[in-house]
Amino acid sequence: MSRLLFHRCGSRREKVPIHLRFAICDLRFRFEPRCLGCCIVLAALICAVNFSRAATNDFFAQGVELSRAGQFPEAAAAFEKSARVRPAAGTLVNLGIAEWRRGHAGAAILAWEQARWIDPFDPRAGADLKFARQAAQLDAPQLKWFETASTWLPPDWWVWLAGASLWLAAGLMTLPGFLRRRKAGWQQALAALAFGIFLFCITASLGVVSRTQTGFVLKKNAPLLLTPTSEAEVVSTLNAGEPARRLRTRGNYFFIRTAFAAGWISREQFGLVCPEQPDAAAAVPPAQID
Amino acid sequence: MKSQMENIQHSTFNTERQNFIEARVLGHWVLNVLLSLMLAAPFLLRAQAPPQLPPGGLAQLQVAQPAVDVTTPVTATAAFDPPVVGAGEKTFYRVTVDATESSIQWPDKITAPPELKFGPDARGQLTQFLGDKFRPLTSFIYEVRATATGHFAVTNFTVDVYGKPVEIPAADLDVVAENPNSQPARQLVLETSATNVFLGEPFHVSVMLPAGTNNEIEALREIQINGDGLMTDKTASRQSIEAVNVNGQLKPAFICEMVVTPIAAGPLKFSAQGFTAGREFTAPIAIRGQVTIPGGPTKYVLLVSDAVGINARPLPVEGELPGFTGAIGTFFYDPPQLSTNRLRVGEPAHLKIVFHGKGDLTRLTPPDPPRSPDWQIIADNPPDTGYTLIPLTDEARQTPAIPFSYFDPATAKYVDLTIPPLPVTVVGEGLPVQLPATDDGSDSGVPLKLSALATVPGKTAGSLKPLQLRGWFVGVQLAPAIGFVALWRWDRRRRFLEAHPEIVRRRQARRALRREKRKLQKAVADGDAAAFVQHAAEAMRIAVAPRDAANPRALVCADVLAQLGSADQNNRAGETVRKIFAAADAQFAASAQTQADCLALKSDVEAVLTELEAKL
Repeated sequence: MSRLLFHRCGSRREKVPIHLRFAICDLRFRFEPRCLGCCIVLAALICAVNFSRAATNDFFAQGVELSRAGQFPEAAAAFEKSARVRPAAGTLVNLGIAEWRRGHAGAAILAWEQARWIDPFDPRAGADLKFARQAAQLDAPQLKWFETASTWLPPDWWVWLAGASLWLAAGLMTLPGFLRRRKAGWQQALAALAFGIFLFCITASLGVVSRTQTGFVLKKNAPLLLTPTSEAEVVSTLNAGEPARRLRTRGNYFFIRTAFAAGWISREQFGLVCPEQPDAAAAVPPAQID
Repeated sequence: MKSQMENIQHSTFNTERQNFIEARVLGHWVLNVLLSLMLAAPFLLRAQAPPQLPPGGLAQLQVAQPAVDVTTPVTATAAFDPPVVGAGEKTFYRVTVDATESSIQWPDKITAPPELKFGPDARGQLTQFLGDKFRPLTSFIYEVRATATGHFAVTNFTVDVYGKPVEIPAADLDVVAENPNSQPARQLVLETSATNVFLGEPFHVSVMLPAGTNNEIEALREIQINGDGLMTDKTASRQSIEAVNVNGQLKPAFICEMVVTPIAAGPLKFSAQGFTAGREFTAPIAIRGQVTIPGGPTKYVLLVSDAVGINARPLPVEGELPGFTGAIGTFFYDPPQLSTNRLRVGEPAHLKIVFHGKGDLTRLTPPDPPRSPDWQIIADNPPDTGYTLIPLTDEARQTPAIPFSYFDPATAKYVDLTIPPLPVTVVGEGLPVQLPATDDGSDSGVPLKLSALATVPGKTAGSLKPLQLRGWFVGVQLAPAIGFVALWRWDRRRRFLEAHPEIVRRRQARRALRREKRKLQKAVADGDAAAFVQHAAEAMRIAVAPRDAANPRALVCADVLAQLGSADQNNRAGETVRKIFAAADAQFAASAQTQADCLALKSDVEAVLTELEAKL
């Protein structure tokens, strides 16, 4: 931001009576030389952001062209780069399609789940998930009631709503007192409503946090191990795209619980909807296979 | 119309009747043929009956091998070979019993004269074929040296064979001082290809039976290597007859070469034993030179060799490379051949690897298949040394490298022989893009299919990580809270000051007093006595105004004096106050005080102001 310098008029201050001095604040501002540098930095940042978006779009367009040409592995790589720079619902939907067409059911389902994570209103991600699960005979993740509620809106919306409703309720209850005004009935009703919305949003936010631990098996016949070691006994094998919930982590292994079993699985064979690495937001690990 | 129909019916009847008669004749003929065949069936089917076996024929087929004879009375022989030796010369005390070794309760110690020193012993068993049955034969042999001349005998003794006592006859030995016809005891000669080897390094041993009397060559059977810490590979044995140097004399000899592997480190001693077998050569044999092979019945005699020693060194631990499976020698392989370099996920391909080298290839253990996330690797069953590779993903671009190494005893170092990766193209499995419509009621009969590609990226997000888990968002949520707390504290302070206005007045008075003091200092510095007096009086009024909640401009000298203590009112402080206020009022009078007098009150004024400020 450019720096706005509010300039006090010192010469007038001496002449003005004391009881009027609080009002002396000149809203005029002026640019100083260092403000020019700030503007240059701001312009550079804006250009960098635009360049990043342009690069993202380039990867996206490249992926679309490769998909239309039937080169799905290369298309998946392009969509993955695009999603890594800036996750987008459409990009992840296309990534899922490319992965599905190259035979990676687990990676496809993970990409579509991530697309729905970003935009629950995207009909393509939901339809593709339904299609994939019916084709691969897979179940959807079993969600608790508050997790189900959290799927109604994008994850970030819930916390913004919770914050806004909380401070609205707090403001409505406290500001009249500060302002020496009487609390009106509508203010109290609105505060109660806002507090109710806050409670619901907090619950949904907990559901969002809980859903970050859900993930999907990426590799076909992925071994579910008894211990987090490479030589561990295999408890069971999991299908690609099978949902599971991560309970804890040790080294290169996740302890997960599926609908039928629990055990350790290698990180490379399990993709979380919300990956841990912020930079790998789009989150599809390069080694994902099924 | 009716008559025509009747004519037609008559005509049809006649025709059917004729056909019926013909069919009847044909039926009779067929029936006669069938009956004839049924009557002749026993004779026609006789050729298909099983052949008639003589009584006991089936038993003969089931028992194809001759029985082992354990019912014939057991006989035993005992003798010294040779029976006449010089003092200190070596002879062998040999006992032969025609029974199985396990059935003989052989004594641990042989009762013999003390002049006969019994040395290493050996025992062996073979099965001799006597026309229609096998008969076991067991020999016990002891190396004996006599310490004195004379006639010695090992008396007869009894051992249990098959639970029955069998007498071992006595054996006589003549020990002479000089034996002009000295013939050394017949024994085997054992030679090794190496005497200093590494643990696990196979080496060759040659068991030789030099030609006996009349230069006759005999074969050897049941050859054994006696000694601890050795493993003998008889499958790699090779037999030949060659002329060898025995005690400086070139003689033909039966040679059996075997491969022996030390399985224990340290100095090892071992010897060989075997039965002479006449012309019974049990394996292909290479004969070089002119040899005489005896005829007649075979005489099985157990012979032993002198012990030889080798030193087995342990393999060095340092420098061991991955994939070492115990291969010792010098090895190499042909270029690995993959059955195909383009395959689908889950489709097996075979990697053929053929090893060559100087070491023991029959015991070469191929490297264990490595664990790879992209490949399932299955080793071929021995002795094949290939691998079956199954790609698990289309991400695989090359076959996995298979670590392998061997130990080269010549350089005493491990040598890397890793099987290199080969480039492949793996095609992924196809998945359906459309499903047929289902009648489960959930859909309106519309087939499910994959959606079309999105043309725009759509809604974006900075990160998939939700805001709740980001640190900055918590900070953002703290900002309103901090604002509300600040607002609350401001309101609380405001209410407090409203309840205690004197605090505000005193604070304002202190602030104004500091301001007046600065002006006072400035007036002193400028030498402006009038300003000094005015500011001094104003400062005194400001300092005492909060006590009475009065406007400072409304206060006079008496008000200021009232704030001073009763003692101060009449001393220097009170006088200073009076002078200041008098001088301040004098500016409106005709006669004013001199400037020097006013400015001289500077220190007194400061003392009064300090006292008043302390009470503020």
